[in-house]
Amino acid sequence: MLPDKLSITLHGSNVAGIDLATLTPGFSDTVHDSQGVFRALLDALSRPGKIVSIDAVLPGFEQDGETHVPMAAFAALLALADYSTPVLLQHEHRGLSDALRFHTGAPLTLDLAQAVFAYLHDAESMPPLDAFSLGDPETPENAAMLFIRVDSLDHGTPMTWRGPGIRDTQAVHIAGVPASFWHERALLASQFPCGIDCYFVHGGSVIGLPRTTRVEVA
Amino acid sequence: MSTSAQTSAPPGLATRREWLAILARTPRARMKEALDTALDGVSPPEFDWLRAPDIGLAMVRGRVGGSGDAFNLGEVTVTRATLRLRVREGRAAVGVAVHMGRDKERATLAALADALLQTPAFEARMHEHLLAPLAARITESRAQKQARAAATKVEFFTMVRGD
Repeated sequence: MLPDKLSITLHGSNVAGIDLATLTPGFSDTVHDSQGVFRALLDALSRPGKIVSIDAVLPGFEQDGETHVPMAAFAALLALADYSTPVLLQHEHRGLSDALRFHTGAPLTLDLAQAVFAYLHDAESMPPLDAFSLGDPETPENAAMLFIRVDSLDHGTPMTWRGPGIRDTQAVHIAGVPASFWHERALLASQFPCGIDCYFVHGGSVIGLPRTTRVEVA
Repeated sequence: MSTSAQTSAPPGLATRREWLAILARTPRARMKEALDTALDGVSPPEFDWLRAPDIGLAMVRGRVGGSGDAFNLGEVTVTRATLRLRVREGRAAVGVAVHMGRDKERATLAALADALLQTPAFEARMHEHLLAPLAARITESRAQKQARAAATKVEFFTMVRGD
């Protein structure tokens, strides 16, 4: 998908040079590693609520680096983003933004409506969901995809998920997502096929939440 | 090779551009030979790939008459590579190469040479044994080409019928 507008709002850091001396090297085997990550992400979105681990090889990636960006989010964005997908980072993460610009060529944006992928580091202060692109009825695939960092994928608010990809019900426990998020998301359901697909990210694992899943917070 | 692989003060943009241009115009065999001479048996520091050599296409554009409207001349294959020397502390030297053609080995050698040119331990030898001879060869071949072309120059003149 090409960005509609040619002028892309740039982060301050986008204007500055990429710091190659501290840049995180990308995948050690770009083709196969990104295919593996893509497969894992596809699997996560096809089976909502299932915890999928991303076993990407990111040499030199420091889990406890200053950025604290979970490895799964880092690998997912490296695998998915390219020059035609503006990426929004909620906070400035020098390591992540440099790596995205160098390895994928993706432009960084601050415009919510323009972002194709967004990494939300702090779910508590995330922007309203309907500010992101929901796609059009003719092109619902143009919706934004969110990567939301959470505190835990197996301990937290108990929820029951239903919908395509789930046999009956799926019990999910995610910690660190505000109640307002689930409320805003439920309101978007009426706009199907438009909507937003999300991934909850913690460490090297993700849980996929496609727009079709109905969430019941206990 | 650890601490000695740190970078010195960053070279001027123009200086680095100059040596990158020299490296980009040097065939692989010559570059390898010159790099071996410059290293003189010392093994180069280990490095990590930031971007392993990959091959792509780039559109070369020209301008009509050198200053007129832009037009697409054609596509060329381009090989690019970026590597970073391993250092224990300090800023690591980063070498880049973007070359016409599909020779990954050549791009690797050039990127390594670029990184070593920014490394104090190798800088002087690299300038003396790698850059200087390569630059001289390029100047020489350019002079030869110009001489060959100059020999074919035709002077036009108009005969004036005498009265």
